[in-house]
Amino acid sequence: MSTNLIQNFKNKPQVTQIAPAKPVPDFDIQHELNNRTFIKPLKGKGKLLSGNILYSPIDTFKNSTYTLKAFKHAASGKANDHELGKLNDLGMFAGGLAIAAYLMQKRPTSTTKGMEFVGLASFFASMAIWPKLAIQLPAYLIHGVNVQKKYEDSFGRKKPFYQDPQFIPWDLYSDKEIDKIGNRLGVPKNIPNRREFIQEKMKKLAVQNNTLWMLTAGFATPIMSALICNRTENYLRNYNNIKQNKKADLLLEDINKHSKKYDDKDLEKELSKIIQKYSGKNIDDEIVRKISDAFTYKLDPVTEEIFKADLNRLLINGEYLITDSTAHNVAENIRKQFANKSYTKEFVETVIPDEKVLTKLFEENNISRSTFSEVVGFQRIKDVINKDILKKLGAYNLAHPKNMENAGSIIPIVGRAYSMPLKEVRANILDENISNTLTKLAKSLDAFRARNYVLDEYAFIKLADSQETVAANYWHNVSNDLLKVLGMTPKQIEKVRFNEQLLAKTLRENFEKVVSNDASYKKVMNLLVEKIAQLNNEIKPSDMTAYILTDNKTITKYDKAVDTIFDKYAKELEDLGFTKTAYHIGKDEAGTYKHIQKMYVQDRLLGIKSAFYRMVNTLDFYRRVAENPNGIKTVNNMVVSREIKEELIEMCKIISLSGHSSDFATKFWMKRNPHPSKDTSPLEVENGKIKNKYFGKTSEMVNIPGDKYFYQNAMTFMYDGELHKDTKEIFAKYLGVRDEMNKYRSLVMEKLGGDRYFARPRHLIRAPQKTGSDLLFQLTGISPSELFYKAGQEAYNTGKWFKIFGTFGAGLLGVTVLAQFFLGKMKNPKQVKND
Amino acid sequence: MILPVKYNPITFKDNKNKKSLEYNHDTLLNDGPLTRLRIGVDRLTNAFTIYPAKGLKGSKNANFYEFLTMGTVPYIVGSLTLMSVFNSANKHFAPFARNKASAFGRKMALGVLFYGLLKGVSKSLISLPVNALTGINIEHPYAKVIYELPDDINDTDITSIEHHKVFESVEFPRWDLYYGDEKKGQKKNFRYDRIAKKLGMGRNLKDSDQEVKPRIKEIVVKANLAKNISSYLWAATGVGLAFQKPWENYFRVMTFKFWKGKEFLNSLESFGENFIKSAKEFWHGEGSGAAKHSGKILLGSAAASTILGLANTLYSSHTPAKTKDLINKQDRYVVN
Repeated sequence: MSTNLIQNFKNKPQVTQIAPAKPVPDFDIQHELNNRTFIKPLKGKGKLLSGNILYSPIDTFKNSTYTLKAFKHAASGKANDHELGKLNDLGMFAGGLAIAAYLMQKRPTSTTKGMEFVGLASFFASMAIWPKLAIQLPAYLIHGVNVQKKYEDSFGRKKPFYQDPQFIPWDLYSDKEIDKIGNRLGVPKNIPNRREFIQEKMKKLAVQNNTLWMLTAGFATPIMSALICNRTENYLRNYNNIKQNKKADLLLEDINKHSKKYDDKDLEKELSKIIQKYSGKNIDDEIVRKISDAFTYKLDPVTEEIFKADLNRLLINGEYLITDSTAHNVAENIRKQFANKSYTKEFVETVIPDEKVLTKLFEENNISRSTFSEVVGFQRIKDVINKDILKKLGAYNLAHPKNMENAGSIIPIVGRAYSMPLKEVRANILDENISNTLTKLAKSLDAFRARNYVLDEYAFIKLADSQETVAANYWHNVSNDLLKVLGMTPKQIEKVRFNEQLLAKTLRENFEKVVSNDASYKKVMNLLVEKIAQLNNEIKPSDMTAYILTDNKTITKYDKAVDTIFDKYAKELEDLGFTKTAYHIGKDEAGTYKHIQKMYVQDRLLGIKSAFYRMVNTLDFYRRVAENPNGIKTVNNMVVSREIKEELIEMCKIISLSGHSSDFATKFWMKRNPHPSKDTSPLEVENGKIKNKYFGKTSEMVNIPGDKYFYQNAMTFMYDGELHKDTKEIFAKYLGVRDEMNKYRSLVMEKLGGDRYFARPRHLIRAPQKTGSDLLFQLTGISPSELFYKAGQEAYNTGKWFKIFGTFGAGLLGVTVLAQFFLGKMKNPKQVKND
Repeated sequence: MILPVKYNPITFKDNKNKKSLEYNHDTLLNDGPLTRLRIGVDRLTNAFTIYPAKGLKGSKNANFYEFLTMGTVPYIVGSLTLMSVFNSANKHFAPFARNKASAFGRKMALGVLFYGLLKGVSKSLISLPVNALTGINIEHPYAKVIYELPDDINDTDITSIEHHKVFESVEFPRWDLYYGDEKKGQKKNFRYDRIAKKLGMGRNLKDSDQEVKPRIKEIVVKANLAKNISSYLWAATGVGLAFQKPWENYFRVMTFKFWKGKEFLNSLESFGENFIKSAKEFWHGEGSGAAKHSGKILLGSAAASTILGLANTLYSSHTPAKTKDLINKQDRYVVN
C-alpha cells in the first residue's frame, strides 16, 4: 500500500514548535561554529608548550633525538617538511663544527684553539638567545604575550605558534587564557567578539615582532657572539693556564714515566735498517752519511758537529781499500782530466796509464786488494803511478823531439785524479763490533731524547718566549692589572699609544700622582709586590730559580733532573768512546748542552723578575723623591748643589722609567748646565714633583762626560740606600720577594755599576766586572714605559673594539626593546553598553 | 542559527593605476638562469622593502612566505656585520697590531664571502645531476598568485605574486602544475612521462603521474638531505680556503675601484694567482699530523657528502617504487 500523503497531512500529529533562542546581543558565529555538534572532527592532540625562556637540557636532548630520527627518515626518503627543516639546522651545525675544527688546527695555543669552538657555540647561542632576550622577553613583559610561543601538533612536531600568521592554531588557547592575555593587553571587556579582537592583536604583535627579529638578528648575532668571545677569552686562558701549569708540574714529578710516550725508538729502528742493509760492507761515505744523519737528526748544530767528530772516529780508521774496480776508476778519472786539453791522442795513449797498465802496476807493487793509509799509503800509490808516467814520458819525448811535453805540467793534472777513486772505499767494515756500539748508542740517545723532550716541554710550558706559557699569561695579567691600578685611562692611552716617549710622559704623571699620596702608593705597591710574589706560586723557586737573585743555592728540582738525565747519558757516551760528546753533555760550563739547558730557564726568569723589580724600584724611587728628596743618599754623602740635584733627579726619573740597557752601558747622557749654581738650599716638592728652581732655566746646556760623580750619584740615587719605609713594610709580608729585591738592587750596583765603558772608563760605582752583555741586558729588564706601552696598546685595542661593538650592541638592544612600545597598536572596537 | 553575512562592498574598480599582474593564476616558470636571477632580485628586493614594511605594520596579510623570504635579511646583514666585527676597529690600532688584525680580519671577510658563495653554488652539485639523471628539477620555480584581504575600503590592490618551488614542500608538492595543458596541445602527463622514462619505469604508462609521484617524493627528500648537509660542508671548505697565508699578498694590492683600470686589473690578477696558491696550501697543509691533512679532510668530507648524498638519491631512484601487487591474479576473491 502506497502512502497517502494527503491523509498524512490531515492527520498530522501535534508538533510543538520550538522557538529559536533569542539571539544574544553579541552573537558570535565563529563561537557557534566551534561548538557545533553536528560535525565531529577527530579530537586534536595538539598542545601549547610551556617552558623556560632558555631551552632546558631535556629539550635540547629531545630535539637532538628528533633530528637524528629526521636524518634517518630523510636518508630513506620518508621525511616530512618539518623534519627536513630540522636537517638544515643539522647541516649548519655540521658546517660550523667543520670550520671550527679546521681553524683550530691553524691556531698555535690551546686558548686560541678553544676559542674557535667558543666562537661556534656563542654564534649558535646568540642566534637562540637574541630573539628570546630582545624580542620574546620584552614583548612578554610589556604586552603579556609570548610572541615566540611554541606548540606541539597532533603528530608531536614542535612548531612556533605564530609561524604562519595565516594559519594559527588558536583552538589551542582556551577562552580563559585568551581573556587573561586580553586583560593584560588592555582590551576592554565589553566589546563584541572580544576573543577575535584579542587574537588579532596577538597576531599583529607576533607579526611585528617576527619582522623585528629578522631585521635585528643580522646585526645582533655576530656582535653578540663576538662580545661573548671577547668576555670569555680571559676565563678560558686562565683555565688553560691552571691546567697547563699543573701538567708541567706533573711532568717534573716523574720524568721517566712521561718520557715513555716520547720514547718511540725511532733512532734504533732507523739504525737497525742501516745495519741490516750495510752490515759487513766497507764503510763508504754514503754509509757514514746515513749513520750520521740518523743520529744527528733533531740535535742542535753544535752538538751535531761534536757528535759527528766522535762518530767519525768510530767509523773511519783512516785506511782505504784497493778493490777490483779501483784501477778502472782511477784510469777513467785520469782520462777525464786530459779530455779537454790540447794533448794529442797519441800522447795520452802512450804516456797516460789506462786500466790495464794500472792493474799491472798494482799487481807488480802488491797494491791490488790491499789497504793503504790515508797519508803514507796514498803517497806510495801516487809515486808508483807517477814513476810509470815519467818513464813513459821520457820515452815519448825522445820519440817526439818536436812535441816534447813537460812533466811539470803533466804530474799535477794526474795528481788531481787520484784522490776520489782511491779513497772511494774505506778499509774498515761495518762489522759486529761497530754495529753493537752503534746500537747501544742509539738506545741511549733514544732514551735521552725522550727524557730531554719532557724537560723541554716543562721549560716551554713554564717559561718559553711564546704565547700563553705560564710566564706569558702571568705577564699579560699583571700588565693589565697594573694599567688599571696606576690609573692609565683609555683616554690617556688613546692619546699616546703610538709613541713610547709620550706614553712615558703620561706614565710619569701617573707615577708622581700615585707616590704623592700615602694611600694610593701603598695600594699600588702592595698590588705590585703581591703580583711579583704570585710568580713564585706559579713557578716555585724550589722547581726553578734564577740563582743569581738568591742566596739560597739549593739545587732546584729542574736542575736536579737535568743533572740526572744528562750525567747518565754522558756516562753511557763515555763508555762507548764518545768522549767529546760526553763532555759536551755532562759538563756544566759555558757553551755545553747541559749549561744551555739550565741557563735558558734561569735567564728567562731573571728577565721577567728584573722587569718587575725594576718597576718596584722605580716607584720606590719616585716615592722617596716625593717624600724627602733631600734625604736621598749621595756617594760618600757628598754635598751636591741644588741645581745638580735637580738635574740628577730629573735624569733618574727618566732613566728609571724609560732607560734601556744601552743607557746604563754608556753611563747616561744628559744635557746639563756646565756652570751650576752653588746654592745648596733644600729641594721643594709639590704633588710628587720637584719644584725646580734651576733645572730647565739655563739655555746653554751640554753633556759633561768627565763628571763621574754625576753617574755615581745617579746610580746611588736609584739603586743604593734604603727603600722607602712603606715599601719595606709591604715587603715584610713577602720575605722571599724582599730578599730577591735586595739582591736585585745590589746586583745592579755591582754588575751595571762595575761595567766598564771605554769612552768613560772612570764612571764606575763598584769594582770593575767582567760581566757578559746578556746579564747586563737581563738585569736592566724591560723598562716600565715599554711594558706599559705594549700593555696599553693591547688594552686599548681590546677596549676600543669593545666600545664600538658593545655600544652598538647595547644600542641595538635598547632600540629593539623600545620598539615594543610602538607595537601591537589597534583601535579598540566600541564597547557594548550593558543595560 | 547562521545569520546572513553583512555585505561588505568591496569593489574591484578598473582604474588606471591598477597593478597589472604578470600572471593571473599559479604558473609554472621556465627554469633558466634569467628566471632565477629575476626571482632572486624580486625576492631580495621584497625582503628588504615590502615585506619588512608589511611586517612592521603587522599587516593582516603577512604570511609565512614573507617571513621566510625575510630570512635573507639577517643572512646578508649578518655577513656584513661579521666582516665589520673583524675589520672596523682595526684602523684605530697601532701599525703592527693593525697589520696583524687586518690580515686576520680580511681573511675572515673573505671566508664569509666564500661561505655564501660555495653554499649557494654547491647546491647545484646535487640538483643538476638529479635533474639530468631523473628528470626531476627539485628547484623548479612557479609563480603563485595571492589574493589578499584589502587593508581598507579603497584598497583595490589585493593581489601579489610569490615565487615558490614546485617541490619545496614534500608533503604538498604542486603536482597540479606538472600536468600539461591539453588546450595548448600538451599531453596531460607529458612531464610525468618524461620522469618515468628517465627513472626507467617504462614508456607510455597509463597513469605515469600516479606511478612516479611516490618516487619523486622520495628523490626530493633525499636530494634535500644531501643539499642541506653537503652545502654547509662546502661552505666550511670555502672558509678554510680563505684562511690561507697567500691571501695576504692579495690583500696588499686588493682594490674594488674598477675605474682605476690598471690597479683593478692587478688586483684581479693577484686574486687569481693567490687563489691557486691558497688552494695548493689548503690541500698540502702545514705542520704535521692532523694539521697537515686538515685541508684534505675538510675537502674530502664535502666531496664525500655530495657523492654519498647523490648516490643515495639516485640509487633509490632506480628501485621500483611500486610495492608488490597484493592481489594474486590466480586466486579468486569475494568482495562483500
